[in-house]
Amino acid sequence: MHNFLKLLLTPEFFFSILRISAPIIFATLAAVVVEKAGFANIGLEGLMMFSALSGSLASYYSHSWFWGLLAALATGIIMSLVMGFFAFQLKTDIILVGIAINMMGSGGTLFLCKVITNLTEGKAMASTTGLITRSLCIPDIKIPILNSIPFLGSVLSGHNLLTYLAFILVALTSLILYKTPLGLNIRSVGENADAASSVGVSVLRVKYIAMAFSGLMSGFGGAFMSMAYAQGWSQDMVSGRGFIALAAQAMGGGECLGGMLSAIMFGFAQALGIKFSAIGMDSNLASPIPYAVTIIGLVVFALIRISRAKKRRSAALVKEEGRLLGQGQA
Amino acid sequence: MNRKRKLLFTIVRSLVAILIALLVATVLIFISTPGATFRIRIDATFEALREMLAGPVFRFSKKNGMVFEGKRLADIFAAMIPTIFTGLSVCVMFSANQFNLGAEGGIMLGAFVSAMAAIYLPLLAGLHAVVAVLLGGVATALVMLLPALLKAKLDVSEMVCSLMLNYIIMYIIKFLMNFYLADKSRGTIQSFPFRESSAIAPIVNNPVFSGAKLTWGFIIALVAVLVCGLFMYRSRWGYTIRMIGINKDFAKYSGMKVGMIIVLAQLIGGFLAGTGGGIEMLGRYNAFAWNALPGYGWAGITIAILAGNNPYMVPLAAFFMAYLSKGCDLMATYAKVPSQLISIIQVVIFLLFSAEQFLSAYRQKLVVETAQEELALAQAQKEGV
Repeated sequence: MHNFLKLLLTPEFFFSILRISAPIIFATLAAVVVEKAGFANIGLEGLMMFSALSGSLASYYSHSWFWGLLAALATGIIMSLVMGFFAFQLKTDIILVGIAINMMGSGGTLFLCKVITNLTEGKAMASTTGLITRSLCIPDIKIPILNSIPFLGSVLSGHNLLTYLAFILVALTSLILYKTPLGLNIRSVGENADAASSVGVSVLRVKYIAMAFSGLMSGFGGAFMSMAYAQGWSQDMVSGRGFIALAAQAMGGGECLGGMLSAIMFGFAQALGIKFSAIGMDSNLASPIPYAVTIIGLVVFALIRISRAKKRRSAALVKEEGRLLGQGQA
Repeated sequence: MNRKRKLLFTIVRSLVAILIALLVATVLIFISTPGATFRIRIDATFEALREMLAGPVFRFSKKNGMVFEGKRLADIFAAMIPTIFTGLSVCVMFSANQFNLGAEGGIMLGAFVSAMAAIYLPLLAGLHAVVAVLLGGVATALVMLLPALLKAKLDVSEMVCSLMLNYIIMYIIKFLMNFYLADKSRGTIQSFPFRESSAIAPIVNNPVFSGAKLTWGFIIALVAVLVCGLFMYRSRWGYTIRMIGINKDFAKYSGMKVGMIIVLAQLIGGFLAGTGGGIEMLGRYNAFAWNALPGYGWAGITIAILAGNNPYMVPLAAFFMAYLSKGCDLMATYAKVPSQLISIIQVVIFLLFSAEQFLSAYRQKLVVETAQEELALAQAQKEGV
């Protein structure tokens, strides 16, 4: 146990928490903004899978990670807009649209990969891991001064460009939501679409913007998966991160900062799982840890929310009684 | 709209949706077929399409032309068994507006538990299979209690919870297989063979199906459809489930026990998924060797959507999907188009079926026609008086 703790309290461990959290943070931001606009996008998982594939393919064919990243972002945005078209224009239940995208994310990406690359590893498998070299991945960044601080330096410096971006985007998204007219519109559409519409906000436009934002974030998440977390795309590589993000959004109380903290918690759970398998535990027993933590987290969050609501109600009751007593005395 | 027009609309809408999906498929096949010239690729595309659309029941050869293949048809029926169960499972849960996506993990759990019962429980032939399958169903129903209770008591999203459960179920089954239950004498990770008494009997002595694997599981699936349909449309609980799906608040204020029914719907959904897993496992295999989620749960969602959450329509939808899937497999074998094309076709049909506004102009036209006829009729009656 003591040795295990020693293994945990290394800079590499904390470094890996941040690294693992990054894609979940992207997806969580997508979930947060969409939820603020009053609907749920459960297709994040599928969007990330498509972005991951297109990013890795584009970077291979253009020989540049930058175009790969752009392709991933474009894929995320375009597909999310298509989702929006089905949900808002054709009035498909948005949850069903999400399920559809997720269903397509697993088989459809493999189909496209096989068709585009003509690669087949064995009979059923195909991936782009053979195509992507280190130089086609999104680069890591060493931060000059921070780098030289002993423990902190090796935790915080040397991360991938997108990892830093994930944390920057948490602040930016929060700013957009609370300090800009667009953010106000998004929140007002989510609170009460009819009221927003009555003061001249185009509800449809705002919803499309929120949807496109979630696509953009999924694009970052997908690009991170195939061009930073792993080298190249393989089937089902997102493995539930889009779903975990939905839980992180709920646990974070629907706010950017809370969502980020929850995402880091899942990153921690997963990093722990990896450590467990490193010391010889079966990986099949370590792998479900983040998923189990998600369920536990949701329960804890729900309990907190309910007890808060109760407190508020009883506080209101006490106040009401006090008022009545006051009236009686008068 | 009267009944006849409603039916007409449903049929036209379904056909148009399927047609669009096939159009998309044609384009994708054309893109993915190899070939130097345009002409060759067009030919290859049509060959692939023919294989996909007619291949599941006919075999093509230069010598004999088109020959009916009973075995392939039986294969399709066999492939329908698990998806009928997951389709029913999703129907019940979605009818109550419970977006529980646990059928995927549920069918794996049911298959696993049934397999264990088939290996380690010594029972009489006949009884053995029944007990094993029921155990699978009950185990899955119990696991589905978790998202159901959390939803009913704490308002935790059953969707996220059930999705997480899918992964947890898969990993724990893999862990148990790796460490405790695997038959170490085999090259791959698989369990010990099932006891012979647990096998589900095949439907034998049928000339059409000879040589094909089709068990009584198929008949059981059809019976399940009937029971499920009766439950949903002819029982009080079924009515309550549908009412909660239509308007939860109304159901609540008219005195229905919403929480209880939400739990019940997911219990039934879990039981159906687990049973399906058990029947599939005991009917098709003689040892447990699944090492990933089988995908039947997602197919079940598509089927439930195609069936409009109506249990009676589930076999039809399941047949359609099994047919398409078989067609895509054949196409992959004979025409070198990746079989995962199925997932794109599936999604296009899925989206168009669930799109409320799809062909809404046509529906509007039908509504107007009906209204005009009614008005004319009323006018005529008035003048007659």
